[in-house]
Amino acid sequence: MNTPASARKPYQPELSRSWWLKHHYYRLYMLREATVLPLLFFLGCLLYGLYCLAQGAAHWQSFQLFMQQGWVIALNLLAFAASLFHAKTFFALFPRVMPLAPARLMIGGQWLATLLVAAGLLVLLGGWL
Amino acid sequence: MNSPKRSDEPIWWALFSAGGVCFAVFLPGLILILGFLWPLGLLDASLLQYAQLLTLLQNGYGLTGLAFTCAVICLPLFHAAHRIHHGLHDLKCSYSGVAKLLCYGTAAALSMLALYLTFLLRLAG
Repeated sequence: MNTPASARKPYQPELSRSWWLKHHYYRLYMLREATVLPLLFFLGCLLYGLYCLAQGAAHWQSFQLFMQQGWVIALNLLAFAASLFHAKTFFALFPRVMPLAPARLMIGGQWLATLLVAAGLLVLLGGWL
Repeated sequence: MNSPKRSDEPIWWALFSAGGVCFAVFLPGLILILGFLWPLGLLDASLLQYAQLLTLLQNGYGLTGLAFTCAVICLPLFHAAHRIHHGLHDLKCSYSGVAKLLCYGTAAALSMLALYLTFLLRLAG
């Protein structure tokens, strides 16, 4: 029994489910991972909207009423904040993975793209011409 | 001669990063408009009325419609599936491939639904 193989006592650290609560950095990591939860809600809204659009004018009206509910607006505002937090973390990765230009320039360029898309959608859909 | 078993992970990571770009670049503006400004009536939303929207989608929309659906629904779905899959592992809730199958399977099924509905819209009206 006392062979080298059985005498081996490997250290197996026990990781609890709440490991990520123990450090500020881990909590931020989990918060970033959680940005997809409100995103999923918004994607569900988009799918429901597509479905209503395919069903006809009356359904589209009911989709608009659905989107006007307070809790839906609140969750979508959360999704908006999550998308910005995700963008902040995601844009910082690009210059690290592919350092083509100074990091600040690349990050700024990506924010500019986000801004231009938002402005373009406002002009196209919102009649803010 | 046996060829080595290839990992499928590059596919999921590629979809994850493509979806991440879409989530960061396209979604903030779209959420702001559809989730907030439009419901509160802060836009002159004539284009978002049924008839106008349908005309917009049907005239000269074609492949652009499918590209739009991919960019704002399908790729973000795979991005979310990837983060949830790895998040479940972080929370020690991942059970040998089941979570992976469920996450990416749901994303694939909802993506097919979105593309199907986009395709239907071209015939509607």
